[in-house]
Amino acid sequence: MSAHPLVALERATFSYPGAARPALADVTFAVAAGEVVVVTGAAGAGASTLLLVATGFAPRVVGGTLSGTRRTAARRCGVVFARPWTQLTGLCSTVRDEVAFGPASLGLPRDEVLAAAARALDRLGIAHLADREPAHLSGGELQRVVVAAALALGPEVLALDDPAAELDPEAADALYAALPGLASAGTAVLLATPDLERAAGVATRAVEMRDGRIVAEGAPARVLAGTAVARLARAAGCPAPWPVDVAALLVRADMGRGR
Amino acid sequence: MIGYIPGRSPLHRAHPYTTLALATGLLLGAFALTRPAEVWLLVAAAAVYAAVGGVLRSSARTALLLSLPIWALLFVVHGLLGPEPRAAVGPVAVSTAGVERALVLGGRITAIVLGFLTALSTASPHRLVEAMSARGVPFGRTFLLASTLTVLPRMRERAAQILEAQQCRGLRLGGSPLARLRALGPLALPLVLGALAEVDEQVLALDARGAAGGGRRTPLDPPPDSPAQRVLRWSVLALVVAAYTWKFWRLRG
Repeated sequence: MSAHPLVALERATFSYPGAARPALADVTFAVAAGEVVVVTGAAGAGASTLLLVATGFAPRVVGGTLSGTRRTAARRCGVVFARPWTQLTGLCSTVRDEVAFGPASLGLPRDEVLAAAARALDRLGIAHLADREPAHLSGGELQRVVVAAALALGPEVLALDDPAAELDPEAADALYAALPGLASAGTAVLLATPDLERAAGVATRAVEMRDGRIVAEGAPARVLAGTAVARLARAAGCPAPWPVDVAALLVRADMGRGR
Repeated sequence: MIGYIPGRSPLHRAHPYTTLALATGLLLGAFALTRPAEVWLLVAAAAVYAAVGGVLRSSARTALLLSLPIWALLFVVHGLLGPEPRAAVGPVAVSTAGVERALVLGGRITAIVLGFLTALSTASPHRLVEAMSARGVPFGRTFLLASTLTVLPRMRERAAQILEAQQCRGLRLGGSPLARLRALGPLALPLVLGALAEVDEQVLALDARGAAGGGRRTPLDPPPDSPAQRVLRWSVLALVVAAYTWKFWRLRG
């Protein structure tokens, strides 16, 4: 755990409204500026919920009850979900306006709003889309617009919940490749994803969750080496770094055959 | 077609408040007028409004589709079951007062529907948001109004996707009315559940982007207003007040 965390949870237990059992149970977790933390686990393990609680959207927006302590030094947190079309305002006629929506909502002067939008578009490499209509973009382009829209507000903590689910491999690579840059600029990035192979390439820390609890935390090479695929690769005598998902294992196997 | 249709007509270029003021004027005027000739003059005004917006054909077609079942119902309730005296129209004896009542009610509905379809087709939600932001309207109210303008096209798009998916899985849309009614189930449930699931994410996304802050938004490209448009809006208000004054003066007389 970091010495000066932007967000720290201590023995946090969170339940969604009407849920019989907590989605997050007795979790102690912290994230600091400059980190890219990948949160893994099977569906329902609590990875997405950890992101929502850490960023303060749960219970403030989604409802439910939170016990334990949440401390934060972050003034602003951003969140990006898997489906880009649910995150659009639906009220903007250009990508520039969509990305500028957040800074405009803060009431910043017009020039600052447009500058923040331009910077965010540049960071995601989508400045060329600025005048396009969001409804006419592909899923991959749209997801990068959504990430840019989140970045335009200058969040200190950015939570990405399976952000590449709708992206083609190239767009997913581009999105993941942008994360270390965000972190080095001072943003704490929280990433919940089943795409462990890509996540392993950019994460500075990994957290594994099961039944709402953190069961492993540490360097990605150590935590992700515990996945079934990595264990299999290790047992089969694959050299490190071990592949952590089936696709990567198949690629590695294919390369081995070609050698 | 229900929803914004991009265009360059005078209504498209007008300040969104002007477009909405005209539609609201038609709505209020419809209830102030009580005689068939007056109401049908208002329907003609609604048609002119749609023609100025360049959407007469699409708006009139949808307005007729929406109003025709109501017209049929009004004719049965008021025309056939209305009070004496009756006049023979072919083999049917219809109530003259009832037909007059049906013409007034049907005309009102047609004028209102045509007016609002035209407003939906010509008022860009984006320009409306910008206009309201420029006037300092809180975003909650702005979003409520603007998302109302966009909800129908979004639902229609989603419904088309769901229907395509269900048809791929063997859903048949043709056949008897009962079969068509049965096909509504596989459409309605995913449509409603999907929309509810997406609302959660959209609320979070909007909150994360500062929409819930309650502060004054910065308009980036507010639509231009003009003295002529302000005069037009005040004139609509004056006409509505005059119409109600006339209505109540006649009622007292």
